[in-house]
Amino acid sequence: MPTLKILRNATAENDLEQRVESDVSVVTERPWNVIAWNDPVTPMTVVVAVFKRVFGYSNNKCTHLMLTVHHEGRAIVWSGQRERAESYCVKLQVAGLQSSVERDG
Amino acid sequence: MATKLFARRRDGRIEVRLNDVGRGVVREVFAHVLAGERDPEHEWHLSLNPPINPSDDDDDPLSTLARQSETASNAELAFMTLQEQYLTDSEAWAWLSTLQVALRSTAVANGILSDEKLESASPELLDGIHILQQFLFDLAGCF
Repeated sequence: MPTLKILRNATAENDLEQRVESDVSVVTERPWNVIAWNDPVTPMTVVVAVFKRVFGYSNNKCTHLMLTVHHEGRAIVWSGQRERAESYCVKLQVAGLQSSVERDG
Repeated sequence: MATKLFARRRDGRIEVRLNDVGRGVVREVFAHVLAGERDPEHEWHLSLNPPINPSDDDDDPLSTLARQSETASNAELAFMTLQEQYLTDSEAWAWLSTLQVALRSTAVANGILSDEKLESASPELLDGIHILQQFLFDLAGCF
């Protein structure tokens, strides 16, 4: 029954295509941003130290992010999957920085 | 040149150079953070539990529990090591986190949410804030 075999293969390929499409749709979801907010009392050196500890960024990147927070009132310090964004947000709050998560866009 | 209140040693530990008065201030601050985390009526309780995702009515309970647990663990570790002259990296980080939480809670509880509000704060309150900022400035320099 070669015809039936071909049909079965075609069905399997369709399944594979659907799975690939499903994966692609997850990847293209809008990321979640971790926002660090400015406040009038926190020393700048503390902000840099916390960013280095929590994210493992370089000193230059942490200083740049800290200055963005200082001058613009807020900065996106990390973007990605929601669960990780919340986890990073909690780590910043545990270290005493004002932070929140929001969906990109 | 003023001596730093905290200094990183070659062996990786952090030396605490606070005198008895300084340690007394730190003890009071750590105790307040612990109390604020546990007592919903404490004036710092709200500032210790800010929203994680302001667009949601309720935050993920696991995230809020993790925050509560980590904040309390840091404050307890800091409190237990109050009399130590040398702190490990983790202990020093617990001190820094707890001092910073206390600084922000002091500001929030007193409505200091802008530079203008900070400038118009009472001298006593400003003194307290400046002391915590000095502790934090020196300690953050060790990381």
